[in-house]
Amino acid sequence: MRTRSTTLKVIVIVVLVVLSCAYLLPIYVMITNSLKTLPEVTQRTFLALPKLPQIQNYRDALFGSRTFLIPMLKPIINSSIITASVTFLAAFFGGLGGYYLSRAKAKFTQVLFILVGIALYMPYQAVIVPLTTITAKTGLINSHLGLILCYLIINVPLASVLMGTFFLGIPRELEEAAEVDGASKVQTFFEIVVPISLPAYASVAIIIFTQVWNEFFIGLTLVTPRTQTVQVAMAMTEGSTISPYNLQMAASLLTVGVPLLAFLFLGRYFIRGVLAGALKG
Amino acid sequence: MTSIGEQASLKKVVELGAQKRRRKRVPVLEFLVFTLPLLIFLGILYGTLLWNFYVSVANWVSTAADYTFVGFKWYTYLFHQARFWTNVQNNLKWLILGVVPTAVAAIFLAYLLELAPFRGVESYVRTLILYPVAMSFVVTGTIWSWMYQPEKGVFNSILQSIGIHSSLRFTNDPQTATYWLIVIFIWQYLGFSVIIIQSSFRTTELQEMIEAALVDGASRLRILFAVIIPNIRSGLLVLVSLLLISSLKVFDIVWIVTRGGPGVATDVLATNMIVTAYDQRLASAGAAIGVIIFLMAFILVIPYTLYAFKKWFE
Repeated sequence: MRTRSTTLKVIVIVVLVVLSCAYLLPIYVMITNSLKTLPEVTQRTFLALPKLPQIQNYRDALFGSRTFLIPMLKPIINSSIITASVTFLAAFFGGLGGYYLSRAKAKFTQVLFILVGIALYMPYQAVIVPLTTITAKTGLINSHLGLILCYLIINVPLASVLMGTFFLGIPRELEEAAEVDGASKVQTFFEIVVPISLPAYASVAIIIFTQVWNEFFIGLTLVTPRTQTVQVAMAMTEGSTISPYNLQMAASLLTVGVPLLAFLFLGRYFIRGVLAGALKG
Repeated sequence: MTSIGEQASLKKVVELGAQKRRRKRVPVLEFLVFTLPLLIFLGILYGTLLWNFYVSVANWVSTAADYTFVGFKWYTYLFHQARFWTNVQNNLKWLILGVVPTAVAAIFLAYLLELAPFRGVESYVRTLILYPVAMSFVVTGTIWSWMYQPEKGVFNSILQSIGIHSSLRFTNDPQTATYWLIVIFIWQYLGFSVIIIQSSFRTTELQEMIEAALVDGASRLRILFAVIIPNIRSGLLVLVSLLLISSLKVFDIVWIVTRGGPGVATDVLATNMIVTAYDQRLASAGAAIGVIIFLMAFILVIPYTLYAFKKWFE
C-alpha cells in the first residue's frame, strides 16, 4: 500500500514532527533535568543540557538526602518483592486456569468465562473497603503478603484469559497423542503444553509485571510504612512542594527504569501480550 | 511374611483398585488442579464485591465497622451532594473525550503508517508513542504536572523563551482543568490504541478488499471510510471498550496532578470515593460510590464480554 503522492509525504512529515515533539519532550525534560543542579533547574531553561551531569542526583534519590526525604531504595525493594511474587504466581495459576478455559466446553466453563471476563475489568473501588477490612483484621496489611494477595485477586483472572488466548492457538494433535499414550491431563499440560508456551508465559509475565509495578490505587489505600510501593513513594515526592524537581525526576526515572527496560528489550513480547488481552480475549 | 508370589498378586489387586479409583476420581482431581486457584481468587473477588454492597446499605460511619441495615440511605446522601454530580459530569467528560479523540487519532495514525512512504517510519513511530505504556500514571502525572505549572512550568517557560507570552493556566484553571488532564490520558493511551487498530488492519480479507478498491481507482480517503472502517468493527469494539473502562476507572492522573482540585473542579467518582471512605471515614458512602462505579463498568463491558465469549467458544 505504499504510495508516492506528495501530499501524503507532507502529511507524514508533519505528523512525525508533531509526534516527536509530543513524545520526546517529556522524556527529554525528565532525563536532562534529573542530571542538573537545583540552581540550573530554577533558571527554567528546560531545553538546555546540564552543564555538568550530576550523577549523584540518582544517589540522592535512591538513598535520600537533606533535600530529598523519601529515599527510593526501600520502596523499590518492596515493589520488587510484591511484583515478582504476583507475576510468578499469577502466570502459574493463570496458565492452569487458562488451559482449562481453552480446552473444556461444558456449560460450567462458559459461566466461568463470563465471571472471569467481568473480573478482568473490576474497578478496584468496588472491592477496596472489604479488602481493607480483611487485610487489617488478619494482620496481612503489615507484610508484603497483603498486597500480593490483593493483586493476585485481579491478576489471576487476567492471566487466565491471556494464557487461554495463547493456548487456543496451539494445535490439539500433540496433546491428543500424549493422551493416547496414557498421560494424564496434568502430565500433558506440564510436559507438552508448558514447554512450547514459554514465549506466551513471557508475554503475560511482562504485562502483569508492568501492571502491578505501576498500580497506585490499592498501593495507596493498603500501604503501611513497611510495605510502601514505588508509586506511593513517588506520589509523596510529588505531593511535597519542597522536594526539588531535579531529584523528583531522578526518582521518577529510577521507578520507571525496570518496566521501561523490559519494554525496550522485550518489546515484541510486550506487544503480543497487549494484543492477546485486546483482540482475541 | 508373605511370599513373593502373594506380594505380586496383592500388588496387582491394589493397582487394579487404584486404576478403578483413578478413572472415577481423576477427572474431578484434574479439574481441581487446573481451576482451584482461579476459583479461589474469583471467589474472594466476588465475595468482596457482595460484601462491599452490604457495606453500602449499612451504617458504617466511623473506624469501627457497623453493619446496621439502613437501606439506600447513603445513596440518597450522595445524590443530594453537588460534589457527586460534579463527579458524574467529569466522568462523562472523561468517557467521551478520553475515548473518541483517542480512537479517531489511532485510526488515522494506523492508516498513515500503512501508507507511509518512507522506510523505518513505522518502527520509529511505534516505539515513540508506545513507551508511555510502560510508565505509570504516577510518573506521567508527576512530569506533566510540572510541565503544566503556570509560572515555573515547562510549557509556559518554553513558550516565553521563543517570545510568546502564554497566559495558559492549564490544570490551575477550574474551567479547563479536566480537559488538560484528559490530554495526558490520550498521550499515554495513543500508542496502545494504534497497535490494536493496526493489528485489525492486517487481516487477509481486508487487505484483499483494499487491493480491489485500489484497482477500481478509489481514492485513499474513500478507502479509509468505505472499506477499512466498516471492516474493523471488532477491533474498534475492543479498543473502545478498553478505553471506556480505563477512562471510567481513572484515578491516578487526577489524584497526582490536581487531587480533584481546584476546589472539586476535576474530582471524579474514584477520587471522591477515597476521600469519602478514608478521609471522612464514611465507609458506607464510599462503598456506595464503589457500587456505582462497578455498575457503570459492568454496563460498559457487556458488549465486549459478549463478543469475547462468542469468539472464545466458536
